[in-house]
Amino acid sequence: MKAPRPRFGLTPFAFLSPAAAVLGVFFLGAVAQVVYYSFTRYTAFSGPDFVGLENYRRLLASERFWACLGNSAIYLLVTPAIIALSLAAAIVVESLGSRGRWLRLALFLPVITPTIVAGVAWRLILNEDSGLLNSALAMVGLDPVPWLSRHPWTLVSAMFVTLWKGFGFYMMVFLAGLLAVPRELREAAALDGASRLGVFRAVTLPALAPSIVLVFIVSSISALKVFDELFVLAKGSPIAQQTAVPLLYRIAFEEGDYGLASALGLSIFLFILSFSLVNLRLSARSEEAAS
Amino acid sequence: MIERRPAWLGISTWALAVVLAIVSIGPAAWLLAIALQPPGTDLREIGLSATFDNFAAAWRDGSLAGPLVNSVVVTFARALLNVLIAALAAYPLARMRFPARNLIFVLLLCTMMVPEQVVLVPMFRIVVGMGLYDTLAAVVLPFSVTAFGIFLCRQAFMAIPASLEEAARIDGAGPLRIWWHVMLPLAAPTLATLGLFSIIGAWSDLLWPLIVLQSRDAMTLPVAVNALQGTFATNPRAVYAGAVLSLVPILVIFALLQRFMKPEMFGGAVKG
Repeated sequence: MKAPRPRFGLTPFAFLSPAAAVLGVFFLGAVAQVVYYSFTRYTAFSGPDFVGLENYRRLLASERFWACLGNSAIYLLVTPAIIALSLAAAIVVESLGSRGRWLRLALFLPVITPTIVAGVAWRLILNEDSGLLNSALAMVGLDPVPWLSRHPWTLVSAMFVTLWKGFGFYMMVFLAGLLAVPRELREAAALDGASRLGVFRAVTLPALAPSIVLVFIVSSISALKVFDELFVLAKGSPIAQQTAVPLLYRIAFEEGDYGLASALGLSIFLFILSFSLVNLRLSARSEEAAS
Repeated sequence: MIERRPAWLGISTWALAVVLAIVSIGPAAWLLAIALQPPGTDLREIGLSATFDNFAAAWRDGSLAGPLVNSVVVTFARALLNVLIAALAAYPLARMRFPARNLIFVLLLCTMMVPEQVVLVPMFRIVVGMGLYDTLAAVVLPFSVTAFGIFLCRQAFMAIPASLEEAARIDGAGPLRIWWHVMLPLAAPTLATLGLFSIIGAWSDLLWPLIVLQSRDAMTLPVAVNALQGTFATNPRAVYAGAVLSLVPILVIFALLQRFMKPEMFGGAVKG
């Protein structure tokens, strides 16, 4: 006779209740509120009063909104650099085998470094008069670059820090992917006479395709959410030369315009969502084409 | 080994490894070297003389002791709650059948899709409404569990053989005891990884503490290091020293917990 399926009654909900309370209030509840606030005039001093689409009209009419959105789009260029660098690092770590352990730990140092510390360190390296980078450029006869004062170099500097802080993490993702490729598969291909590059192209790269798609999506989302790097490296520059989340911070917590900031928050969400959906669609299509 | 690696490939692999290591360690090492220089010395005289004066100045005049304690409290509270609440929620999701299970899954996925930056304004208003503005609880509470953590724990629980759970149930253990005595110990490596991720994230967090903390007494280290830049406008080396100081605790924790940082976890981490 089959044992009766255990009945759980309210037990599952008891286990779920702490998580439900936190996520329900601070995320799901907050999402509902951000939608409502975006349709209201709501400042640090008054409101919220319903005003329909007023905030969205103001947002679309404001120059800094489009400038910051454009800069966020530029910031996305950090994603291919992250993929290239973290994939190269993963290949190096994997081919060193057990001796690659020290390198793995070294590459993780930037990941655990708080962004404020990374920013302070990189400001030193990017310093326009005495920094290492401009000194190195001078040595090969190039003009100094205004890394910390001139648009779009401030963006490029922040992207340096994002790349530096991020690639060790994504390296681990690729390493997981590489280690999951069966060794026999690669050896079989090599036995069949494939060159190293051939094995990489025919066996390793296709096996890594899902990791590449994931890293692409995750790192591009975090590029669109960037705040800390700009706060540390580009604090002095005009807001129109920064990206979307610094603009949100400015509008909400320095200008106290919660309604407008909520409309901006939702716009950022829609931007991230549509970008990710397009990427998923494209990667699905290229997989179909490959098979 | 079927084939021998050609010499040029071995050499270039090592060369690349060294370059990558220098790029990773270099900025922090450079920061340390300059923080050790006496104030007023030329940058090119690096390494000629060393002093801890800048560290003393940052610690004393920048009053970093309070922020250090705050950061330790916030970081450990967040890591502990993240592991505990996520492991609680993951147990029924991995092991029990109950109504509304699928709905809960969908809601969890939704919270994963919304970045905190999008809901900063309502999150701030909620915290203020609870009377938590300018308290450490405000920094901890909204991030005391994540959907990502729940999914990570759920994966670990699903890999545990059901027979172990059944044996405990026959012995008369209730769900809470099974969770504590069977599930948690067997999922310990994953829980440690989740703890490490939470610690790294909480230690580095800047945006949210910047928004909900105001007074000196409540500041966390990243906020305090940021404030150092104003305090030491004339001696930037003290700022560098403060930055180095705030890196030390996380380095120690990482050294202790790095064995839980396995590549497999990252494969799962991104897949959720």
